[in-house]
Amino acid sequence: MKLFIKFDINTICSLFLKQKLEEQNMNFTTLGFGEIELDENLSVEALETLKNDLSPFGFEVVENQKSVLVQKIKDAIIELVYMDDNNNFKSSVFLAEKLNHSYGYLSNVFSEVTYSSIENFIILQKIERAKQLMLVNEMSLTEIAFLLNYSSVAHLSTQFKNTTGITPSAFQRIIKKRRENLK
Amino acid sequence: MQKNALHILLADDDEDDRLFFKDAFEEVRVQTKVTFVHDGLQLMEHLMQPDVKLPDILFLDLNMPKKTGKECLIEIKKTEHLKNIIIAIYSTSSSEEDIEDTFIEGANIYIKKPSDFNTLKKIINEVVTLNWHYHTSGLNRDNFLLRLK
Amino acid sequence: MKWIPKFNSSNSLRVIFVIAVFILLFLSSIAYKHNQDLNESSKLVMHTYEINIQLERLMSAIKDAETGQRGYIITRNGRFLTPYIYSRDKVNTSFITLKKLTADNPKQQKNLQKLFGLITQRFTSFENCFKYSNPQTYDKRKLDNHMFGGRILMDNIRFQVDEMNDIEKKYLQKKLKIYDQEISLSPVFSISLFLAALTFIILAYRQISKDIKRLKIFNKKLLISSRLMAESEVIGKFSTWQWDLDVDKIDYSDNQYRLLGFKPNAFVPEKDTFLNFVHPDDKDAVAKSMEGIVNNKQLPFIYYKITLPNNEIRYFKSTGKLLTDQQGSHILLGINFDITDEHLLNVELQERNRELEKSNQELASFNHVASHDLQEPLRKIQTFISRVSDADKAVLSDSAKDYISKIEVSAKRMRVLIDDLLLFSRTNTTKKEFIKSNLNELLENAKSELTEIIDEKKATITVSKLPKLDVIPYQIEQLFINLIGNSLKYNRPDIHPEINIATEKVSSKDYPDLLEQHSKKFYKITFSDNGMGFDPQFKETIFILFQRLHSKTDYPGTGIGLAICKKIVENHKGHITADSILGKGSVFTVFLPE
Repeated sequence: MKLFIKFDINTICSLFLKQKLEEQNMNFTTLGFGEIELDENLSVEALETLKNDLSPFGFEVVENQKSVLVQKIKDAIIELVYMDDNNNFKSSVFLAEKLNHSYGYLSNVFSEVTYSSIENFIILQKIERAKQLMLVNEMSLTEIAFLLNYSSVAHLSTQFKNTTGITPSAFQRIIKKRRENLK
Repeated sequence: MQKNALHILLADDDEDDRLFFKDAFEEVRVQTKVTFVHDGLQLMEHLMQPDVKLPDILFLDLNMPKKTGKECLIEIKKTEHLKNIIIAIYSTSSSEEDIEDTFIEGANIYIKKPSDFNTLKKIINEVVTLNWHYHTSGLNRDNFLLRLK
Repeated sequence: MKWIPKFNSSNSLRVIFVIAVFILLFLSSIAYKHNQDLNESSKLVMHTYEINIQLERLMSAIKDAETGQRGYIITRNGRFLTPYIYSRDKVNTSFITLKKLTADNPKQQKNLQKLFGLITQRFTSFENCFKYSNPQTYDKRKLDNHMFGGRILMDNIRFQVDEMNDIEKKYLQKKLKIYDQEISLSPVFSISLFLAALTFIILAYRQISKDIKRLKIFNKKLLISSRLMAESEVIGKFSTWQWDLDVDKIDYSDNQYRLLGFKPNAFVPEKDTFLNFVHPDDKDAVAKSMEGIVNNKQLPFIYYKITLPNNEIRYFKSTGKLLTDQQGSHILLGINFDITDEHLLNVELQERNRELEKSNQELASFNHVASHDLQEPLRKIQTFISRVSDADKAVLSDSAKDYISKIEVSAKRMRVLIDDLLLFSRTNTTKKEFIKSNLNELLENAKSELTEIIDEKKATITVSKLPKLDVIPYQIEQLFINLIGNSLKYNRPDIHPEINIATEKVSSKDYPDLLEQHSKKFYKITFSDNGMGFDPQFKETIFILFQRLHSKTDYPGTGIGLAICKKIVENHKGHITADSILGKGSVFTVFLPE
């Protein structure tokens, strides 16, 4: 039988991290997604070990302030995109307010670290959510366009196509056929 | 970005294309390690080795002797430990059917081989960046579909 | 069967015959009567003269008696008594005869009685004269009395006789007059009847000869017609047979025998003999149909094979129908066609078709593969050229740099050509899946493909609502791309392209030359632009493959784009036309069936 499973990355990662750190007997507090306050300071070797432990699982211990900020920006963007009543928020304003920096600064840091822009990332996240809404929630394009604050379905379609290279309908078709194949 | 180099594997029977690819990757800002295989059979043999380091991204040409790219794709997607590799089809064909077909079979990316080196560089950059985003930002790999011309 | 003309000679003949018979009877009866009358009248004359004679005989007898009496009285010779005695007998005889003759006339009978009385008196007078002239009993006075009395009696007798004669004569005359009257009419009557009969006979003769002429003509036509029929059977390779169901008699036309491989009338056709000619494969089906004929009163087309006596196989097609003619008899009319030639032709055609299809497919895949495989080396050329970096170029000679850029241009051109060729071949070869699509969406896709040029040339595109149709989506998209792309490409310099796309529903009857009449309604989509237009004399040729109106240096293009459009529209059973005013703009009209 077929099940649609939606999973929350955050929960998974946090649990995993917790597990891993507890293995190392490190006590910590979680400050936010990706931000942990260790009770003790780590030595360079310990930090290195920790990094090596975590890296196979895709976890990267980020030391860099800028990287931290970038992570925060990303979190904020994700929050923005996944908010359901974000009709009135302009992303630049939202980010600036949330992270207490000017949008210009945030933009620069983001580009420096990731080599891609905030706008692109926002679009990426929106399209990602759109994909989810299409496949899991089975919403129509009109509903999705409205929810994600697009001016029209055409706008959504265009952006979808620009980001992924295929049309939303093609995307749906492909995923549907993929699922049929797996039967 | 990632400290560890990105492992790239290209399966292509054409020497020139391999050369272009290699050169293009040299100019990519992410650290990469690029390996090549010459045909489909070689690809599967390589991947099925017990201790092999699996690539982060597999670039797969469709028109290969001995075993076609599509056959490899299907096989990879059926193999438990291989099916999560990000696969980018790298082909000369621009037939809508082929493209959709490969996506349906599980490819994540479809790239039409460009006829300009700069375009190739751009494409590769985009792929790598996007791939990085998928790694780091909790994006759903199953929904990762990208088509580049 | 209405075509038998109504000859009324049989009716008129009958009538005329009856009339003629009647006339003849009439005429004979008249002749007979005439005859009878003549007989009667002669009899009457005879009768009258008979009476006359008898009366005269009577007179003469009495005169003889008188003479005898006188002679005896004078001579007293017994010899003179003999005539007197004889005369008495004569008188009696005549009297008896007269009595008979006048039996029919009571007046005459009376007269006769009177005469008899007178004669008796005379004879008494004779006796008395004898008595008184006898010397024994001579009495002169009584003798003279009786002699004079006798004389007077004689006169009376004479008078009476004359009277009787007169009466007879008058009677005769009267009768003769009547007869005359009667007889006088009959010639006139006869002649007029004769004339009437003659007229009738002449009329009848004319009618009959007219009818005979017509009959001859129809007969001739029939003969010609049946000969033509027989001839057409031979030419048309078909034959007919008739089965009189009431009499259960089957007739084959001459050609039927020939088609079966025999000479005409080679055998007597029976119901089942036909089956012997049918090929064993089809025997059952044909037998069943033959059973069905009688029940269904008709035979729908059946196809079967016949084996000729020389073992050659021919293909036949037959049908039949039950006909009822004027007399009410049921005749089954059957027609057989020898369709061997057509059949073989058909088979050959099908074979040819298959070959053509195969050849087409091969061509198409050749087309596709060639274009596809040509792309590879071209791509390499272009990529390697692009690898020649600026640094490399810097150390090249000017001519070498020039050559490289020329190579680039040619390579680009070749790519465009191959891309277009590939597109063209794809419109032919790929599976044609018609999906109900919203053309507005396809138009949006097309527009997004052309976004760059649209923005670059600051073009405006106005669209009226497009319908939802069963189309091959990617082909229609390509159609839009090509048409809009053309409008963008061939804009008037310094003027922003304005493209208007309008939709109209039309009826195929309005465009009988352009549109397939199977579909009733078409959507007419017009793409009008304000570009540079083209000379309208080329409005047909621009759709021809590889036809271009401009040199390739002025406007990049392969001459395939519009040919692709035409192919796409044809795939959808539609039509595309173009028109333009040089310098003003162009209009491309696409007709798509509903």
